[in-house]
Amino acid sequence: MNTTEKNETLLQLVRCSRTYMKGAVRVHALQDVTFSMQEGEIVSLIGRSGSGKSTLLNLVGGLDRPDHGEIRIRNENLTQMNRNGLAMHRRFTVGMIFQSFNLIPSRTALENVSLALAFGGRNRTERRAIAERLLESVGLRDRMDHKPGELSGGECQRVAIARALANSPCLLLADEPTGNLDSRTSAEILELLGRLNNQGVSILMVTHDEAGAEKISHRIIQLLDGKIMDEKQCRRDHETG
Amino acid sequence: MKPDELARIALENLWRTKLRTVLTTMGVIIGIGALVSMVSFGIGTQKNVTSAFYENDLFTSMFVTPVEIDVNRAISGDVEALAGVLYKPPSPLTDSTLSEFQAFPGVEIVFPEIRFPVKLSLNGNETQTNLRALPAGMGKYKPYNDLMAGHFFEADTGRSIILSQELLRQMKVLLKTKQLRHRTPEDSLRGMRLVEPDSLLGRLVTIGTSVVDLEQMTGLPMMFMQGRMRVPFREIEHHFHIAGIQETGQGFDRPSMISGAVIPMGTAESLPRTGFNNIWDVLSGKHDREGYSSVVVRVNHVNHVEAVQDSIETMGYSVFSIMDQLSDMKKGFLIFDMGLGAVGTIALIVAALGIINTMVMSILERTREIGIMKAIGGSEAEIRTIFFVEAGMIGLMGGLFGLALGWLVTKIANAVANVYFIREIGFTVHFFYIPLWLVLGAIAFSVVVSLLAGIYPAARAAAVNPVDALRHD
Repeated sequence: MNTTEKNETLLQLVRCSRTYMKGAVRVHALQDVTFSMQEGEIVSLIGRSGSGKSTLLNLVGGLDRPDHGEIRIRNENLTQMNRNGLAMHRRFTVGMIFQSFNLIPSRTALENVSLALAFGGRNRTERRAIAERLLESVGLRDRMDHKPGELSGGECQRVAIARALANSPCLLLADEPTGNLDSRTSAEILELLGRLNNQGVSILMVTHDEAGAEKISHRIIQLLDGKIMDEKQCRRDHETG
Repeated sequence: MKPDELARIALENLWRTKLRTVLTTMGVIIGIGALVSMVSFGIGTQKNVTSAFYENDLFTSMFVTPVEIDVNRAISGDVEALAGVLYKPPSPLTDSTLSEFQAFPGVEIVFPEIRFPVKLSLNGNETQTNLRALPAGMGKYKPYNDLMAGHFFEADTGRSIILSQELLRQMKVLLKTKQLRHRTPEDSLRGMRLVEPDSLLGRLVTIGTSVVDLEQMTGLPMMFMQGRMRVPFREIEHHFHIAGIQETGQGFDRPSMISGAVIPMGTAESLPRTGFNNIWDVLSGKHDREGYSSVVVRVNHVNHVEAVQDSIETMGYSVFSIMDQLSDMKKGFLIFDMGLGAVGTIALIVAALGIINTMVMSILERTREIGIMKAIGGSEAEIRTIFFVEAGMIGLMGGLFGLALGWLVTKIANAVANVYFIREIGFTVHFFYIPLWLVLGAIAFSVVVSLLAGIYPAARAAAVNPVDALRHD
């Protein structure tokens, strides 16, 4: 896992734009967005639906490409990568978690985590050992052999977090990780993310839960209509662990 | 990701949709089954025909005639071709010519071809055949070196005869062979006698030859005028002992070159009979001329056929060899096999469409899963490989089980056909033959066709947009 000192630039977006066609209508999801993030930071992106939060996350995650601008992670320029390069970026550089968990329903928790490790080139023994350790670290020691349908929302999200951490990424991308969870479970997941951050994992999170975000984030960036409207520093509850 | 892991994921995916996988694979199984049974029928037919020639060693034999007979031209009604035969004075095939042939390198034996129609009778049961005369030296060669019972003649004289199993059958004698020993119940013999082959050795066979009846010939115009026209031939009977029995082989090996009854050359020459040996003799009036009507030249290896054939043709004789016909036969069989193969291939193409359909459906169902795999780092090549392996596995399973189905179909079809063959002809025929190349080729073909069918679905899966796929329900 990442142990790089804070205050080194991890992520840089320079004048990034992304436009979609929604039928015949052109939607400017992101317009000239420029921001950066340091190693070890948790940055939360907030804003109304359609403000461009998820688009930004998808661009950083290498699931999508900007129309204009540049994205750099540890000085690797994503915009110059080919499709295979982006796949390697998703495999090793970032880990993604989603509102709807996106676990493969036919696979157990252990197998879902193992799959990411398999893409990372680990052999069967390593996969099992690492997946078990990761699932233990997110509190799912007894639920490893359960399929997503047999797990609660919070448990599913923990599996997703364990999977996202499988190949030791330097940046965790969380797209509304608490969006489908009740308030208590949301708080547990946010706490887990805070704890991971304390262990050195940088996190870029999209959320609607501003209050929750304030508790764990170093900064909160507000987007509106594809542009950064506001940015504020937070006092972190988890700063001292 | 390591290839074995990709294969495992592919197998898991197939296992998850068992019913659909089985139904899709069934299409391939039927396609390959059809292909294998069709092609094996073609190969079996070809094998039956060519192996009959090999079994009787006919590829090393040539038939020499004194004149150039362009059979194709003659058959197509070309009068000049026939006129050449009838009026052109040929170089005679004399004993000295035979000695010249014998001197060519590679030639093992040369003897005149003597055949004439006879009436055969054993225990009062009669049949008609062309009696063939062979020198004792032929006992060294197939099929006479391995008779079912008895031995070939050791001298060119004597009243011995070799009869074929089939000819005996025509005279209501059924030999106790392995096939018949267990399978034919006595009540289904339909008047046949079932005997051990060895018990026939030494038994007397009566041969009736025809000679021209001079008395009848002189009275011919009178009989004609009186409306009492009779054939001016008289039959003379001779007695021979059965010296050996020749097995009727598997397949369709009764071309006209193989005679069912063989007697020693010297004996044949001394038998009174009509003076001609075949229809050409009648047409050309050969019986008045010097020399033999045709001569058999045998070489020790097929490689010598061409050189000896050329040498004999240079001497002004006409040569016919089965080798000449073999390449034409092979071409014919190739077309036959291709026709049969095409039917099987059509079935396989239908199966391939089934694979494409199944896999495209599978992509629609698994769009989100593909998106997830891409989100956690799966590359396009890996996604493509997973789908390829799935298609390949369907092909491999389809190929293996299709081969088994094809084999089963050929066994059943052969058994059903042989019920008729045993009853009507008295021996079994293997109509189908599945060589190793067909086994391996069918599996490989199945896998290749399935992989081709997988190209489009795999490419489509690899091209899935992960952002859209993750939103997919």
